[in-house]
Amino acid sequence: MLNFLDVYERVLKGPLMSEQDFDIKVFIPTLRRVVKEYGIQYDKENPVPNDDAATDNLFDAAVDFLSQVGVYCQDTNRVIQFSKDEILDAVHEAPGKCFAGEGKDAGVFGMRKPDDGKTPWLHVGSGIVATSEEMITNLIEAYGSIAEVDSISISALDSIRGIPVMAGSPAEIYAAIRGVKIGREALRRAGRPGLPIMNLISTAAAAVTTIAASAPQFGLRPTDGWLVGAISEMKIDFGAMNKSAYLLNWGANVGAESSPILGGYCGGPAGTAVVSTAYILMGLLVQKGSYQLTFPVHFRYGCSTTRDVLWVVSSSCQAASRNIPMPVIWLGYMAGGPNTKSYFYEAAAHLLTAVTSGAPSVQTPHPAKAVKIDGITPMEAKFGVEMAIAASKLSREQANELVIQLLEKYESQIETAPTGSTYQECYNITTSKPGDDYLRLFNEMKDELADMGVPFA
Amino acid sequence: MNKEQILENLATAIVDGDDDMALESARAALDAQLDPLDAVDQGLSKGMDIIGEQFQSGEVFLPELLMAASAFKAAMEILKPEIELQKKEIAKQGTVLIGTVKGDLHSIGKNIVGTVLETKGFDVVDIGIDNGALDIIQEAKKVQADVIALSCLMTTTMPAQKEVIETLEEMNLRDKYFVIVGGGPVTPEWANEIGADGYGESAIQAAELVKELMDNK
Repeated sequence: MLNFLDVYERVLKGPLMSEQDFDIKVFIPTLRRVVKEYGIQYDKENPVPNDDAATDNLFDAAVDFLSQVGVYCQDTNRVIQFSKDEILDAVHEAPGKCFAGEGKDAGVFGMRKPDDGKTPWLHVGSGIVATSEEMITNLIEAYGSIAEVDSISISALDSIRGIPVMAGSPAEIYAAIRGVKIGREALRRAGRPGLPIMNLISTAAAAVTTIAASAPQFGLRPTDGWLVGAISEMKIDFGAMNKSAYLLNWGANVGAESSPILGGYCGGPAGTAVVSTAYILMGLLVQKGSYQLTFPVHFRYGCSTTRDVLWVVSSSCQAASRNIPMPVIWLGYMAGGPNTKSYFYEAAAHLLTAVTSGAPSVQTPHPAKAVKIDGITPMEAKFGVEMAIAASKLSREQANELVIQLLEKYESQIETAPTGSTYQECYNITTSKPGDDYLRLFNEMKDELADMGVPFA
Repeated sequence: MNKEQILENLATAIVDGDDDMALESARAALDAQLDPLDAVDQGLSKGMDIIGEQFQSGEVFLPELLMAASAFKAAMEILKPEIELQKKEIAKQGTVLIGTVKGDLHSIGKNIVGTVLETKGFDVVDIGIDNGALDIIQEAKKVQADVIALSCLMTTTMPAQKEVIETLEEMNLRDKYFVIVGGGPVTPEWANEIGADGYGESAIQAAELVKELMDNK
């Protein structure tokens, strides 16, 4: 097994090249070759494909691609290279499960296969969606109060005492510490103090912020989940590696994070599916993740619910869940915001796609491309949980038919999807209850989906 | 080969992202004594327009744009010396300094915008990621930029866009440059709030915005 220091040595000794040469002379031509040689083809008619041989072929393509391209380190301008054998060894040695949480709220986050009837690990919360300090306690308490929830993401604070939080600044450290203290306190209020927080620290641009917020007096534990992000595409830097170095020494759960971009260096859906799968391998090898968080997005629309991105999610999710024992949280960005029909259609499509494709875990689909401040409420979390449980009762074939119907409802308006309401606009801030309008829309949408064939409990 | 065929081949070389064909067609243009500016305007630029339209409609993606830009550069290596020899000039569209702001390591959106601007004939100076306000301004002065284009992908790095504009004001340089902003969390409202000269939601919109600003300069 290659340990973290073995990988670090390669950061210092791998082939030297400019980042531009890596992108244009290595990444793009290798990806084009692999897509062609392995015959990876986007199937526009079937956003949730159902071909295990094609899925395993995609895994083989991803191994080949990673063994030829490697991972670029921006700080040393060197490529970390892995042989095919080393990649496959890492796959064989992967435990395929992650222990998270404490006491009665602890659980084992394990694997699922495509068409698996098992309920996925239900990860709930808003992660990168920035939230006002006044709203955050209500929001997290509500997440923790959903009985089926296995783990949560806490919101990013957009300011601290009115001072905007700037990445890598002292305000970021203040905001991270304040955020985790509020998060843990809110979970106590929900009666679930041991519930793992799995997005630490989602907005920490600097490793020092993650390390500062991990001090025990602020209430976090190694059994929470700590994110270490890759840089798109197939890159890493010392900031991320410093986080891994610290977290591995502590014995904490490292969550390797990735976001392949359809339309960027990956090109179209076929190339993006290869890279999306390769990122799961990179998470095992480089960040040394015990789990992964991934969210493929479309470069133009900024969301994960276009037909081609759904196909990428399904294909790479199947390739990973059949071949790589790494528990992955599949997250989607929706174009529509809270309190809109578009959100519900998109979220249903994304969850049907991921869950039936074998996603070990799904997270609350993020409304309004995750960029609307206070643009998330507990209602989306509740919907995500109910929808994921329902989706686990369906096959890929059934999900495919439903996703095609859902695409007909939102696909043509995705560019102009409404960003919806803020928490303050559709929730009572004092009682933390949804307004009548949103409650009515929620029930209407569930009825409509049930009529289409979604087997809600 | 007649003039029309040569121009057609130059355009095709760009659309196909074929460096060899671009070189060969550029040499053929000079051998046939075509005006090198016509070869650029009616051949290479026509190809760039086609690939730009294909990118806009989602038929092609960033790799194809980069390959087109590479073929354009290859052909220009042949055509540019002849243009200079004939003491002619390619019309300057303007210089855009583009970079991601302090604390932000995201680059793909910025790279797409930069590449689209190049295909529209702008000189693009890409200063990469994680740039402080003063560094951006000093670089803009150095390259005599007309436009400063600032990218970010996180809500926590949006304030750094504002900082660049405030620093320009503090240095009495705000009127020297157009400042445009973009990136995932950026909205027209944010651009307006911080006093930017514009916002582009997509790479194509950003390029159109830059052209509009330069046309009205």
